[in-house]
Amino acid sequence: MTTRRAFIASILVTGAVPRSGWAAAGNPAFLAAAQEPDGGFALFGLTAGGTPAFRVPLAARGHAGAGHPLLAQAVAFARRPGTFALVIDCTTGRVIRTLAPPEDRQFNGHGVFARDGGLLFTVEQSRGTSDGVIGIWDVEGGYSRIGEMPSHGIGPHDLRLMPDGQTLIVANGGIATDPTDRTKLNLDTMQPNLAYIATDGTLIERIELAPDLRQNSIRHLAVRADGLVGFAMQWEGAEGTAPPLLGLHQRGGGPVLASAPMGEELAMQGYAGSIAFSGDGAEVAITSPRGGRIHRFGADGAFLGAVSRSDVCGLARHPRGFLASDGLGGLLLIEGGEAHIAARSDVAWDNHVVCLDSSNGPIG
Amino acid sequence: MKRTVLLTLFALSAPVAHADVAEAVAAHILPGFAGFARAASTLDEAAQADCRPANVRPAFEAAFDAWMTVADLRVGPSETGALSVAFWPDERAATPRALARLIEAGDPVGRDPSAYAEVSIAARGVFALETLIHDPAFASYGPQDYTCALVQTVAADLHRQAVSLDQGWRDFAPILTSAGAEGNATYLTPDEAVRALYTQLLARLELTAEMRLGRPMGTFERPRPKQAEAWRSGRSLHNVLLSVGAAQALAQALADGDLPLTDRAADRVRQAASAIADPAFQDVEDPQARLRVEVLQQAVRAMRSAIEVEIGDALGIAAGFNAQDGD
Repeated sequence: MTTRRAFIASILVTGAVPRSGWAAAGNPAFLAAAQEPDGGFALFGLTAGGTPAFRVPLAARGHAGAGHPLLAQAVAFARRPGTFALVIDCTTGRVIRTLAPPEDRQFNGHGVFARDGGLLFTVEQSRGTSDGVIGIWDVEGGYSRIGEMPSHGIGPHDLRLMPDGQTLIVANGGIATDPTDRTKLNLDTMQPNLAYIATDGTLIERIELAPDLRQNSIRHLAVRADGLVGFAMQWEGAEGTAPPLLGLHQRGGGPVLASAPMGEELAMQGYAGSIAFSGDGAEVAITSPRGGRIHRFGADGAFLGAVSRSDVCGLARHPRGFLASDGLGGLLLIEGGEAHIAARSDVAWDNHVVCLDSSNGPIG
Repeated sequence: MKRTVLLTLFALSAPVAHADVAEAVAAHILPGFAGFARAASTLDEAAQADCRPANVRPAFEAAFDAWMTVADLRVGPSETGALSVAFWPDERAATPRALARLIEAGDPVGRDPSAYAEVSIAARGVFALETLIHDPAFASYGPQDYTCALVQTVAADLHRQAVSLDQGWRDFAPILTSAGAEGNATYLTPDEAVRALYTQLLARLELTAEMRLGRPMGTFERPRPKQAEAWRSGRSLHNVLLSVGAAQALAQALADGDLPLTDRAADRVRQAASAIADPAFQDVEDPQARLRVEVLQQAVRAMRSAIEVEIGDALGIAAGFNAQDGD
């Protein structure tokens, strides 16, 4: 068995120096899944300007993706309850591998590569109990499954790699679901958490919110280069309560909840769909497709303002601010609170835009 | 010559729907907000002249009527501006509790219309005023009482909000009507503006069916009459009819042609409403009365379906991809 170091060396020997793989795929800066006008689905690579660099047809609706840090390979995850993930060669559009979760596991929509690209981590849950699991796949061994570790919570959704490259952070949403139809089973007793887990499976730190926010499902994550974590939430409690939908956390400290003024908060309809830090890290933003709104906050949690855009959901770090995608085919560049049209096409962009630029922290 | 060709091409490629958005804005939305601003001004004057309930109520009724023509819009300035005009539903009785706190403390903010915008939105707008002038727990105040000043402050604040919404909508209207123009980052194509207003139409009728009627109906075992909208002033049924009438008017302005199904469905809503005995839905604990509200609810749902067929299907507009199906 080749060591990981030998694997990386072999990539270098064959001339596939870092990023050159992606150059062959048109140097995309982002990955995004979409529904096309004929009802079919595809995964797109997008340049920093928002124009398609590649397009790979998908057999079913995608949710999020993960880009390999070196090779032009992307993993497209199916929506929950996910029965497959596709490893795609983005230069040829060919599906290299179809990953299936083991018995009694389902993919939960997100995953991330290790810093050196040797391993892929996938967010999963037990079909029976909704107990969270992180699946470990050996890239070098043809994406074979080599193990799993607990996510230390119920119904995990998003997963990121911390800047140290040694620690994973998982959003354990807390919601137990029916394995066939996503029916929520435990809203009265749910208890979401944020778990820092070493790549060997050791639980390092776990954060829970105050009891009155127990029904605020922690679902999506963004990590700044200095390790500041932003988490976006979806409220499962009583309507009209306007809970905060954004939290910030720095290892070892307590969570900081970030609220908008009440009218603004209510307009988000208790739902944040994506989260990202801005290119310079000074801002963090969340999207609400239900409210057709983007909320911008300072890195200290202070509300900065809102941008209105129908069905907006995908959000990613962009050198000039944020890139936002929506179900009407728009890609908007959000720069200092101003929205500019980056591109528009006749597709419905799905929930997430994934940043491939690793210069400012972890992939994904 | 070249110019003519370009203009022709543009005319061919520009969807007819563009003109309809302009009509909906000019004939329905802008006059609605202007009317609300006028009615709120009259209400403000009435309250300043004499704060007592008997004097304020007629102008309150007129202002609420004017508000209902545009109350259910949640687009543009109304996305965040509508909630502080009409804070409802109020599941936890936040409005009476917030008002009681102000009165108990004699909070100076209740005498300061310019600072009142900072208080909880539950203590602002038409439902705060309704509570003060209709709820027996509040409405027995005299001209020297704190509550009198509070009524005047809430009325003045409502007037300010109405003026600001009216101005905001006049500023926002060009963004809707210039959908698809270069630099319009809110509506990237003309169709998106049509879609935005169409979505409001459906949401408006859904709100009426599921909230204005659904909340007081509760479950058969447990009706919740106090969850009716504007029950204190007995406007619950009236609001349903005004909301349906506004939806019909907006649909007509937006549509390119007659809407026979929608019009017939609206007639059936009015018919079902005429069978209802208590305009505040306070009789829903009686199964027969509850049934009549349910019949009305079904008629409103049917009107929503008629609009889906006559406008949505005709224009090929589908519901939001992410809004409907998140994760």
